Amino acid sequence: MRTKKLIAALAFAGASMLASAAYADNYEIDGQHAWVTFTIKHGIYSIAHGQFDAVKGAIVMDKADVTKSSVKAELDVGSIHTAFDQRDSDLKGPDFFNAAEFPAISFESTKVEKVDDKTGKVTGNLTISGVSKEITLDVKLLNEAPAPWDATLTKAAFSATGKVSAADFPMAKAADGFGLGPEVDIAIDLEAIKK
Amino acid sequence: MSAILGNAMVITAALPLLLGIVLALLSRFAVAASSPVLTLLWAALLLFFYCDTLGPPVMPPVAASQKLIYLAFAGIFIGLLPERILAGRTASALAVVALATAFLWLGWRRIAGGSLDMPMIAALAVALLALIGAAMLTAQPSSPSLSAEEPFLAPAAALSLSLSGAIVSVLGASIVTGQLLGSLAALTGGWCLVQYLATLRGGAASAWSKGVEFLLLFAAATVLIQIALLAPKANPLALILSSLPPLAAVLMRGRLQGLLPGARSLRPLIAGLLIALPAMLAIVTAIVWAPHGAALGFS
Repeated sequence: MRTKKLIAALAFAGASMLASAAYADNYEIDGQHAWVTFTIKHGIYSIAHGQFDAVKGAIVMDKADVTKSSVKAELDVGSIHTAFDQRDSDLKGPDFFNAAEFPAISFESTKVEKVDDKTGKVTGNLTISGVSKEITLDVKLLNEAPAPWDATLTKAAFSATGKVSAADFPMAKAADGFGLGPEVDIAIDLEAIKK
Repeated sequence: MSAILGNAMVITAALPLLLGIVLALLSRFAVAASSPVLTLLWAALLLFFYCDTLGPPVMPPVAASQKLIYLAFAGIFIGLLPERILAGRTASALAVVALATAFLWLGWRRIAGGSLDMPMIAALAVALLALIGAAMLTAQPSSPSLSAEEPFLAPAAALSLSLSGAIVSVLGASIVTGQLLGSLAALTGGWCLVQYLATLRGGAASAWSKGVEFLLLFAAATVLIQIALLAPKANPLALILSSLPPLAAVLMRGRLQGLLPGARSLRPLIAGLLIALPAMLAIVTAIVWAPHGAALGFS
């Protein structure tokens, strides 16, 4: 009797896992349609804007149980773009993103929470210049649909915002009263291709 | 008061210059220049300027900029070894091992990347030249009968390397390391100023102890190596020229006394200028070929 119960329990657990696995869709971030932007206070004047042009990563989206979803993304520091070449190369230097030593910025989620059907919170480790800090992004699922021009291509679109402090990372000149930040607002808009 | 101390020029130049003067006055009137107490005071000031520009030590250090202060600690540890150990071949061996280790530790991510590009070649050259210069300079024994210029050789080498390194660094968009080397240059400059005034008045200048010599040359060389490794906008030729003053100081030893026997008070100045020659060329090179002219990069 006990053996039957155990088999039934295992079968139920297996079926549940299969069901959840069936709902977990894998996506690859579409680098051509990804905008990872940031804004930072520029001294006593304006808000400076920048963006990373090279973004890659993967998203696992479990619609049945959003908490089982995950995100992994990587930004190429060399692709930083602020509409001024000299500033871009300075930002890649040792006082800021230190691209020669740490050419990539990475984010890996550790927790995904559902807020409502379209929104959630993604918490994860953001690693800049070798130092990881936990941040939480407010994420919105904008749409998920086959492409109008290609029914075999399904895309999901997300929008996310978050905040980090440059002082949390080894970025001396964004944290020492040089006139920048240190608070950095992040805004992400991206499309991801269903695999 | 806090506004004054918050001013970058005060903390980078004026304060270390003043403290260098104080150290020199102490060596003349209160503590023997070879005393470990003076070495400890140099070490404390060095750490103060490291913390001020790079922030307090982070454990574990991940970025090269976080490792610099630990290298300074290592330099201080070696600098506090007994004088008899810090002489001759032992001092050379310590300088070679310490600088080679520093290069590998600071640059392992760049080295692991495997690209032998121009900044990497420059970094290798800087490390090698600084290593040879520091090893040869620290190996030279303290002479009991110093010529007028001899107490200035090592300080002039450290001052020239730090000053040109600071300017090359800032022009190469690495402000923090530029500030740190600027502080070291001013600290050493304050010392040299007082000692030279003493020479002009007919007295004998106090020489650095072997410990102070080691820790300041090691500190300046490691920061220069870090710039060469991680500031791709810094001019590679200027960096290589900046690493030459310790070697120039080695070549200078004992040469001027025979050439200019009568000009006792001029010899430290001439020796200093000759030691600083590669540094001056480095500054000119960095300014002429600065990626964005001689203006600071940040906008």
